[in-house]
Amino acid sequence: MSLLQPDNEIGMILQTLFSFAFIVYLFYAQRIQAMTMLRQIETTLRKIKVLRDEGKTTAIETINEIGKPERDPTPMVERFMEHFMIEPMSMDPAGVVGKLGSILNVREFTFEKEVEVMAPNAEPSERNNIENLLEASLALNIFYKVIRHYYLLGKKTMNIYIIMQIHMILPLILQQIEAYSSALTAFKDGMPIGDGVGAIVAAKLLNGAETREVAKEMVAGEIEYEGRRVIITKARGPGGSVGKPGDAVTNLLNENKGNVTMLITVDAAGKLEGEQVGDIAEGVGAAIGGPGVEKYKIEQAATEHNIPMYAVAIKQGIEHVVAPLVEPLFEATDKAVSSVKGLILDYSKEGDTVVVAGIGNTVGVAQ
Amino acid sequence: MSGETTPIVGGATQSWITLAAMIIVGALALVSLYMGFQAYGNEEIEIAFMYMIIGTSGFIAIGYAFFRPKPTSMDPLKPKKFDVITTLECPQCNLKRVRAFQRGDYIYKNDEPCTRCEGKMIITSIHTRKEEKKK
Ligand SMILES: [Zn+2]
Repeated sequence: MSLLQPDNEIGMILQTLFSFAFIVYLFYAQRIQAMTMLRQIETTLRKIKVLRDEGKTTAIETINEIGKPERDPTPMVERFMEHFMIEPMSMDPAGVVGKLGSILNVREFTFEKEVEVMAPNAEPSERNNIENLLEASLALNIFYKVIRHYYLLGKKTMNIYIIMQIHMILPLILQQIEAYSSALTAFKDGMPIGDGVGAIVAAKLLNGAETREVAKEMVAGEIEYEGRRVIITKARGPGGSVGKPGDAVTNLLNENKGNVTMLITVDAAGKLEGEQVGDIAEGVGAAIGGPGVEKYKIEQAATEHNIPMYAVAIKQGIEHVVAPLVEPLFEATDKAVSSVKGLILDYSKEGDTVVVAGIGNTVGVAQ
Repeated sequence: MSGETTPIVGGATQSWITLAAMIIVGALALVSLYMGFQAYGNEEIEIAFMYMIIGTSGFIAIGYAFFRPKPTSMDPLKPKKFDVITTLECPQCNLKRVRAFQRGDYIYKNDEPCTRCEGKMIITSIHTRKEEKKK
């Protein structure tokens, strides 16, 4: 029995420690959790900073390489990366698309001018690529600053709800940031990207046919398919540009007033987890992403002329959209071409006119 | 913008603290387990039970700290390298050639002379090389 005595003292200590740990956890569990989450955000933030800086250096290097500017473009690039756009007030939604459209036009114009000053010796298509490259760096910079904001705010307030907000969406944000960092490689060298599948489908349909300009940075050409007159429009390549498909479609429909039987849009579409990259799906409506202005114009024009809209979507993950084109997606463009042809055969008669719009960034794809 | 205003705490010191804490907790858990077995030998079942709970929860805590996904050791998010290939085809003699992508290549570019005949080769595809099977 005398043996038990020292044991009990250690036992007391152990018991006290255990109870103490329990009590600490009872009151500070949330704080401990908040600190763990903060640490994870911090690690991500550090990585994003690396990528943001990478974006900036890539942009500056490329401008120096291609544009051969007389002075150092660094301050201009830094200024560009802080560029912002204020969306129009939508409390009174009437005409908001037009307002957004004109703001976007000004933005585009400003970017073009900036790039012209930064890289005076670059060709127009290379300028487009630089513009896209700068936009990717701009996006990375914004991601970095927003996450830093929440991180610092969370650290300052130690409010678990602020920390949670950013922690919850961290995996999704990481995916997007990785995508933008792959975009740097693509735009730097002018490689085709995943979003360009629509443009590739259009180029394959055109198959070398003569094209003319129908809207800003948009070309259109005509082919004959099984007795149908098929007008195909896409952004003008091979520089990185999405063009103004809304204007192009509107102009084409107006030109052929009332004589168009169907309108087919081909675009990349986000796939759900579990779907295969390069799956093709057919549907109705206008397949086009972006801020919505061009989609609105297409819908408006189609409704005005009472033309049915068909859509072909090429499925891809968020990691493919702005990354260099992967092989399954390139193969998918052939399937999409036959899909478009099938739609034309099924829903139009000989002698009809069909408009096909290949939507997407045409970087690295001519016509 | 390049002058970073917010110092971010280094991860190295924290991992030292974690390691020390883990060792202390481990030692305590061991002692606790030992005492639990001793108490069990003395047929004091209730006391033994309590020590064993303390001991095992100590080990569970260590195990959790050890095996939880550590953000610090995740792969460094480096910009990916892409292996992009360009396929050229000659419309006259059907010669097909594959080479690495060069800046200035684009689909439907046709200004490269064919190596077999007089014609010009057309770039018919540009895409990344098939990904290797993921581990
Ligand atoms: Zn040849």
